Amino acid sequence: MKTRNRWILYAFVTALLVTLPYYTGTYLLSVAGTILIYLALALSWDMLLRSGQLSFGIAGFFGIGGYAAVLIFTNAGLNPLISILAGGAVAGVFALIIGTAVLQLRGMYFAIVTLALAEIFRVIIRNLPDLTGGPEGLVLPAAIFSGDSTSTFWLILAVAVTALIASEIFQKSRVFFALTSIRNDEVLARSSGINVFKYLVIVFAVTSAIQGIAGGAYAHVHGFVSPEGSFSLDFALLPMAMALFGGMHTTWGPVLGAVLLGIAAEFLKLQIPYGHLLVYGVIIVIAIILFPKGIVGTISQKLQAR
Amino acid sequence: MASSKVHAAPILQIENLKRLFGGLAALNGAALEIRENEVLGILGPNGAGKTTLINVIAGIYPPTSGRILFEGRAITNLPAYKLCRLGIGRTFQLAKPLEDLSLAQNVMVGALFGNGGTLKEARRIAEETCEFVGLGDVERGISKLTALEIKKMQIAHALATQPRILFLDEVMAGLNTDETREMIELVRKIHDRGITIGIVEHVMRVIRELTNRVVVLDWGQVIAEGPYQEVSADPLVISAYLGEDA
Repeated sequence: MKTRNRWILYAFVTALLVTLPYYTGTYLLSVAGTILIYLALALSWDMLLRSGQLSFGIAGFFGIGGYAAVLIFTNAGLNPLISILAGGAVAGVFALIIGTAVLQLRGMYFAIVTLALAEIFRVIIRNLPDLTGGPEGLVLPAAIFSGDSTSTFWLILAVAVTALIASEIFQKSRVFFALTSIRNDEVLARSSGINVFKYLVIVFAVTSAIQGIAGGAYAHVHGFVSPEGSFSLDFALLPMAMALFGGMHTTWGPVLGAVLLGIAAEFLKLQIPYGHLLVYGVIIVIAIILFPKGIVGTISQKLQAR
Repeated sequence: MASSKVHAAPILQIENLKRLFGGLAALNGAALEIRENEVLGILGPNGAGKTTLINVIAGIYPPTSGRILFEGRAITNLPAYKLCRLGIGRTFQLAKPLEDLSLAQNVMVGALFGNGGTLKEARRIAEETCEFVGLGDVERGISKLTALEIKKMQIAHALATQPRILFLDEVMAGLNTDETREMIELVRKIHDRGITIGIVEHVMRVIRELTNRVVVLDWGQVIAEGPYQEVSADPLVISAYLGEDA
């Protein structure tokens, strides 16, 4: 009964989202698109966090995916959708190679290195003007779907749903047990037969590939990539705030966080054009004081305690 | 010095094992063997190297030098997860529950990764193992368990990996008389399943009742070996525990 209700809810929300372009204007659609991109990033960040590893590298792989998608599209003349997937693959392969080295580190050391990585990617891209257009970036000859807002929204929705499905696969399989064990006690995890390094590298690659796909989609939707725009720290910090706000280590926490904070950000931008980030920051601080485990985490804890 | 009671082949052979932590030799040429199907007591004063011995055997850190053979095969530098899958199980002196998982899920982790198989199979093994060690109400969270239950859960977690040999590191510490009694029975039941046991314990009654043979470590070396009755009368052992003048 409970699972049936849940499926009805999923079907309803999916139908609502898919048909959204038919009863909203382009403004709301573009807000929803932005929220869905951040939702995918927040989820992918949380998926690695479930192993206890805190990454600041989101913006780096988001940017790599964007640049790779644009370069593959303009140079190889592939279908834009395929170039987005290829952008994700490039980000994933980068993460696989880099992860083999940096996932020897843990905790704060890993976090600092990933923060540096995003910056290193940006500097390299900036300094390869022949390939990447240098500081000016690259402009696509045409936006994807000729700028049609309905198809564009569906593309972003597909990216978000991909992240959602990946997250749920992680939560419902042995990956969940491996990551939770590694987070709770790595020595015990190793002694239980878990190949900790292998799991961390694979999860780092998968989540980076999702960030790359999101970056590729974002680049095609906006029609350009640039070092400052595509590697902006916003793409790391906002998704992290969303996941913390909604609740870590779950699928629904980052989803809820992205939706609530995404709507709040847009609303504040309209109401307080010059001070919205300040208010936004205060909201996040208050929420984390009131809901230390995020909204989903704190509520499920209260329910369990009853 | 050698015991003549157990004649089985060795399951684990440890040769000249050294482990340095900076300038400190936690293991300094330790040599011993554990025989198939015995219960071996590992004794020694605090800091003698008992836990380090288990950690090196289980691959938590590699030895500085020396050799370890498991069922005749060299396993000296294998990582912990491979050793677990080969059949070396252990518990930890300080209980390490996975606090975000339920009791059943904690035990499932051992079955899933130490043993392979699907989630469903792991779930079944976890339920059986919890019943075997005497743990009920397996959906409980870790915060709802007593100290004894957490110790039992640790043992269940290790058992779920299907070990051939199980190291128990001070599982009786902090238990009252009745609980100790119960735990001794549990160790007997595990041994009856054909699992070889290496047990580190400070409660001598436990060692006397359970073990076929003991080894005594001091300063990272084996200073005595044999049945508990003989070893406990060895002047070398007495002086290791009580000091030179005793």
